[in-house]
Amino acid sequence: MRAYLNTISNPWRVFDELMGDFPFDLFDTAMRTRTGRFPRVNVWESEGGLAVQAEVAGVDPEKLDVAVDANVLTIKGEKEQADGSRAEFQRSFNLPFELADAQIKAAVKNGLLTVTIPRKATEKRKIAIEKL
Amino acid sequence: MSLMKRTEQDVQKMNRVELTPASRVLEGEEAYTLTVELPGVSEKEIELTLENRVLSITAENTLETFKDYTLVLHELPEVRYRAAFDLPEHVDTAGIKAANKNGLLILTLPKREEVKPRRIAITAG
Repeated sequence: MRAYLNTISNPWRVFDELMGDFPFDLFDTAMRTRTGRFPRVNVWESEGGLAVQAEVAGVDPEKLDVAVDANVLTIKGEKEQADGSRAEFQRSFNLPFELADAQIKAAVKNGLLTVTIPRKATEKRKIAIEKL
Repeated sequence: MSLMKRTEQDVQKMNRVELTPASRVLEGEEAYTLTVELPGVSEKEIELTLENRVLSITAENTLETFKDYTLVLHELPEVRYRAAFDLPEHVDTAGIKAANKNGLLILTLPKREEVKPRRIAITAG
């Protein structure tokens, strides 16, 4: 489970661990973007890969960036805030396996981003043991 | 947020959480703009009504489930969004317009300029 928690620097980490939960609702909507926990997500995992759903209401799909680097998935972008200003957000996930980045599919509908990525096929190589 | 692993069946059995959606009002010269965040809600699912100068919004989100996958991080529950706003007398309720974009419900509440009081129920969707 640790694998899915934020890997970027998180000043609230101690608090999280004490509470067992992230007090997202204590932040007003403007500040939530900057917590490092925006967007909130559901992460589904299977042998074959990953599916991530993220709530990105108020984010222009053109300003949304989904990237995969080896085993890290990053969702970042710009959200229009309550007062009309723009705030940048970024959230990264460390995954327990490598992803086939060329095959990512991402779609946004009604402020919900759905990303599906298959797992990278790895070859299992048998290593011969020499007798000495 | 939950760190328990859940299957698709587990998720389907969970009850909807009732939530007040994030919203904001900006005042302009001609009208107020009320923006309500309703991620994962399609236009058809938004129930928008006006009664006695109270504007009510009810909507349920739809989150796809993935068969044969395990939900390992659960921060987005199935929710029922509920919000109600008392509209001040100087809002012309007949001219209320609603639009839906990027998971936001954007309501334009025009300011009245000497119109006779009327009671109208408005449903959009």
